Amino acid sequence: MAAIPLLFVIYSSFQLSSERWVALWDTRLPDLLANTVWLGFVVAVGSLLLGVSSAWLIARREFVGRTLAIWLMVLPLAIPTYVFAYIYTSLLSDEGWLGLAWQMLFGDSVAIPDIYTGWGAAFILSLAGFSYVFLLARTSLLQSSPSMEEAARMQGATPFEVFWRVQLPLLRPALAAGLAVVVLHVLSDFGAVSMLQFQTFTLSIYMQMEGRMDNQAAAGLSLVLVTMSLMFLVLERFFRNRQRYFSSSRARKFQARKASGRELVVIWACLGLIALFAFILPLVWVLHWSWQAWRADLIGAEFWDYTRNSLVLGFVAATFTVVVALPVALYHSRIRSWLSSCYLHLSSIGFVLPGPVVALGVITFVLTQMPLLYGGLAVLLMALVVRFLPLAVQSQEAALQQLTPSIEQAGRVLGAGPLENLWRVTLPMIRGGMVTAWVLVFIDVIKELPATLILRPIGYDTLPVRIWIESSEEMLELAAPAALMLILGTLPALWIMMRAERAR
Amino acid sequence: MKMLKKLGVTLLGVMMAMPVVQAADDELVVYSGRSDKFVKPVIKAFTKETGIKVILHSAKSTALLNKLKIEGERTHADLYLSNDAGNLQLGNQMGLFQPLPKNIVDVIDPQLRAEDDTWVGLSARARVLVVNTGVDTSFVKSVFDLADPRLKDRIAVTHSGNGSFIAGVTVYMEAAGVEKTRQWLAGVKKNAGGRTFNKHSKVVKAVASGKRAVGLVNHYYIYRYLDKKPDAPIKVIVPDQADGEIGVAWNVAGIAVSKYSKKSAAATQFVEYLVSEKGQQLFAEVNREYPVRSDVAASAVIPAADTMRASAVEMATLGKQRNATIDLLEAVGMP
Repeated sequence: MAAIPLLFVIYSSFQLSSERWVALWDTRLPDLLANTVWLGFVVAVGSLLLGVSSAWLIARREFVGRTLAIWLMVLPLAIPTYVFAYIYTSLLSDEGWLGLAWQMLFGDSVAIPDIYTGWGAAFILSLAGFSYVFLLARTSLLQSSPSMEEAARMQGATPFEVFWRVQLPLLRPALAAGLAVVVLHVLSDFGAVSMLQFQTFTLSIYMQMEGRMDNQAAAGLSLVLVTMSLMFLVLERFFRNRQRYFSSSRARKFQARKASGRELVVIWACLGLIALFAFILPLVWVLHWSWQAWRADLIGAEFWDYTRNSLVLGFVAATFTVVVALPVALYHSRIRSWLSSCYLHLSSIGFVLPGPVVALGVITFVLTQMPLLYGGLAVLLMALVVRFLPLAVQSQEAALQQLTPSIEQAGRVLGAGPLENLWRVTLPMIRGGMVTAWVLVFIDVIKELPATLILRPIGYDTLPVRIWIESSEEMLELAAPAALMLILGTLPALWIMMRAERAR
Repeated sequence: MKMLKKLGVTLLGVMMAMPVVQAADDELVVYSGRSDKFVKPVIKAFTKETGIKVILHSAKSTALLNKLKIEGERTHADLYLSNDAGNLQLGNQMGLFQPLPKNIVDVIDPQLRAEDDTWVGLSARARVLVVNTGVDTSFVKSVFDLADPRLKDRIAVTHSGNGSFIAGVTVYMEAAGVEKTRQWLAGVKKNAGGRTFNKHSKVVKAVASGKRAVGLVNHYYIYRYLDKKPDAPIKVIVPDQADGEIGVAWNVAGIAVSKYSKKSAAATQFVEYLVSEKGQQLFAEVNREYPVRSDVAASAVIPAADTMRASAVEMATLGKQRNATIDLLEAVGMP
């Protein structure tokens, strides 16, 4: 099923003549390649810096307000990239809060930083994505057994050496998984780059479909994008495969050291700065405009329908995706073969294909193969499952990899059949990973815009759809409440995830 | 594992309770590329008068056209509404629409509807210049002056993927020739200083703040800005009005009835209402566009339609020449 959009892309791009390929190469490809790779790289570095530093501080030091800090690092996930970009274009304009602050600090002589650049896009996408790295790095830091670090310290290593030579290598599977999610988000991001006019593959593909109604050129570009992403994924797998670490579940848990007064100041300065830009400032902005809307009495009854639609869609799509992803993750983490890798990579395609392309592929497939399904939520669900399958596979697989095979083997030795073993041993052990997967998919689904915009059933408007409609007419007062509901809607999901983590 | 079971049960419950979203028999579905709030007033009035409900399914005009094409006879859409005549004409060429009855559409100027009456214009917008009154731009009289070297780094235009921008360039290309337009585009690219805007409202803002001297926009964006800031130092220039010049470029928002609509009678009734005097007032007035009926007055704040000369290019051309226009834009490398 995941391959449907890919087949559509391959089929359509075969119809693209060689002259058109040459024309594409001459006019667009080199720039697009350079822009896209550059953006992916810069955002990867940015999220790594933000994510690892915050994860390390929070996992290794005990300090006042630690729970709050964890939440602040995770909450940016609730804000879609197009909302991020929209808020920052508004904040950095002449009359925006940041714009005014800048002028107060530096006077008129220094121009306000232009956000309509590659750096602007990288800034936005790093803020929107670093939480993925943070989550996975933190989980991994908490689970790693303290004995290795203690051994290193006893051998006379400085704290920095411990971090660099022991913790970082141990973190590698988690970081690779986190970075993969971030980079795939960047490659398929449409919201921020279209808002900031930074020409990447996704934006260009969209333009081909929009302006010219040229689905073949769009498919051609998509094929290049998919090839590129697969190369990246294989590379990532390569790094991850070279080493695998298991930790026994009975190992001692880490005791975080209490932070001294000076450390406390430094920690909160660091985390506070990150949180300020990644969540607090956007939240205050959204609250401000929602308050304006409330006072002007602009929030009607249909607004609650949009919220309900979003939540129902997120719930159903996330559950489906996690269930579909489990066999893929299980298959690949237990049996390493050419075929299982193939499956895995095939399932990641939905994530790198731009939303509109996935949407077109799914529509075409459903209309020709199972037309009875057309018209309801089924088509949209299918597209969303295809799009976010890799996210679920990634995090379930990360959990499966940390599960020592000997536990499963023990189950089998004790006479459990494969299914019973799965149900009674494996699933309970990876419950945390499954919940994380569910939450990540849920959040992405309720933020998803391009495919939802095209495939939603008639009259089934969700919050992102409304944000898009209102913000394309610059109606901040109407877009902000929808963004606020979106943030609030993800809170329970995040809470479930955090609770599951604590229980472990 | 209790949790998993519970989850499964809840899921089933949700799926059962999920509203089967399907338009009822007496509801019309409109694929709309126009902002909701400019369509809702007229829909409300129509429903009040006829009892027929209308569901707006909004997205980008072009995406909806794509969808209409792929869906073919399975579409749920009864009508297609777009802010760009080019899209309507393309839909016509793809055979997605059905002709409207002559007696309904002939109140509208033939230039503003399809040759075979498969779509009809509902409101017109002029492509005008907005200038900052604080700087000397007295030499700017024509859109072609945007390429004037004196305006280096001082003009504001939207990026070339914008539908209104493309439609405007099609008009210039048809009226003034491909070569002249090509040179003009090259000049505009230079004068834009590597920075285009993603929204018309931002073009107006850039001019009002003095960052840019001249901008190219649809007329109503200027009045929308003046609503918020009545003292903004900007004014409208209706370009290309002198003898021998091409006249100001027009575009219309319009509507078509889907070929596969199962409710064509009601759909036609809706179109009839939209082109009626009352419908025209409601539809055009909310966005301060020009009604397509000459017997309905436009908003008093915009320049009267009979004071400006419009270019002679037919609206259908916007669809027929769109790909040629995009080819030209790409050849120039317009950002």
